[in-house]
Amino acid sequence: MRYFFGVLCLILCLGTNAVAASNEEAAIVKNCSGTAFIVRQQRTLTVKKSERIYSGDLLRTGRDGTLGIIFKDNTILSLGPRSELLIEEFHFDPSRGKLSIVTRMLKGTAAYVSGVIARLSPQSVRFETPSATIGIRGTKFLVKVEDGGEEE
Amino acid sequence: MKRAAVKATSWVMLLFLGACAVPEVKTEAVPVPDAGRTQVVLMPDQDGKVGEVTVRNRGGSRKINQAGQMAEAKNGTSAISTQAPLAEGDINKVFGAALAALPKKPVIFILYFKTDSTELTEASQTTLSSVHAAISDRQSQDISVIGHTDRTGEKSYNVALSRSRALKIKKFLISKSVNPSIIEVDYHGEADPLIKTPDGVAEPRNRRVEVTVR
Repeated sequence: MRYFFGVLCLILCLGTNAVAASNEEAAIVKNCSGTAFIVRQQRTLTVKKSERIYSGDLLRTGRDGTLGIIFKDNTILSLGPRSELLIEEFHFDPSRGKLSIVTRMLKGTAAYVSGVIARLSPQSVRFETPSATIGIRGTKFLVKVEDGGEEE
Repeated sequence: MKRAAVKATSWVMLLFLGACAVPEVKTEAVPVPDAGRTQVVLMPDQDGKVGEVTVRNRGGSRKINQAGQMAEAKNGTSAISTQAPLAEGDINKVFGAALAALPKKPVIFILYFKTDSTELTEASQTTLSSVHAAISDRQSQDISVIGHTDRTGEKSYNVALSRSRALKIKKFLISKSVNPSIIEVDYHGEADPLIKTPDGVAEPRNRRVEVTVR
């Protein structure tokens, strides 16, 4: 019975998540060089300048790749080579009070300059890595995430 | 053994229940104990301002607030350490490529209008030419134009007026050969003032169009 309930809940949640992942436009690519990809709904796309980025997209750079994007709220983010970052959540609708920007970096290097969401609602901004969560108060910072013990 | 399995199942259920009940609340990622090291370095922004970041995991939380200062989480559980500001050369060795790819900060222009009109003030006519210059300078492919009004007159009238103002600016940019498909127009009527006022108050600073060049 308990098991059944668990499975039921799992199914419900998967449904909810699929809906929640309906993709709000989050950012635009300003700079890119070398190999850089967007993984969107299990498809891998090569990044071009001016490409739109949506909530749910995974950004990935190769060994010679870099990528720089500007979010709708003017948050600026860039990735160095061999990096991976997921745009986990993005909402920018100040008139309805819907604000959030959650990014999760899996590996590599990044530079980040916070934007309007951090100014209006700092608690709605989060930058996650496998080993830490970074809270932001209106600023520029750099992050390096090592890939599970593997050093370059 | 069986108990452990039941316990595990309950935990999984609890996790999913949490996610089901309140989908809007972000469930925070739990840092993995054996996850790779995270290093965070605080930098001054384009205007030289240094803010503050907090780095936390299961081992606790640390704040850094000096330019070049670093916080490090060795893994998801051990305490976070901080280090004295790093030398610029060391920062560039690790982050040079990412920093070189960092786009310029978007520029925001505010253009002011005469009362109940889509005509720009004289000062803002000059600003308008800088908008065009910034677009070419950045080779921008993403421009947002948002119209606003003050709080005199009816709300619905103001929505229409803010739209006309935004469209007027769009039209101008197109006349300067900016590609129309990269201009995103929006209008907020009197709902998004720069200066908050009671209803009915004339406020020149709210009669405006904001142009963001990304």
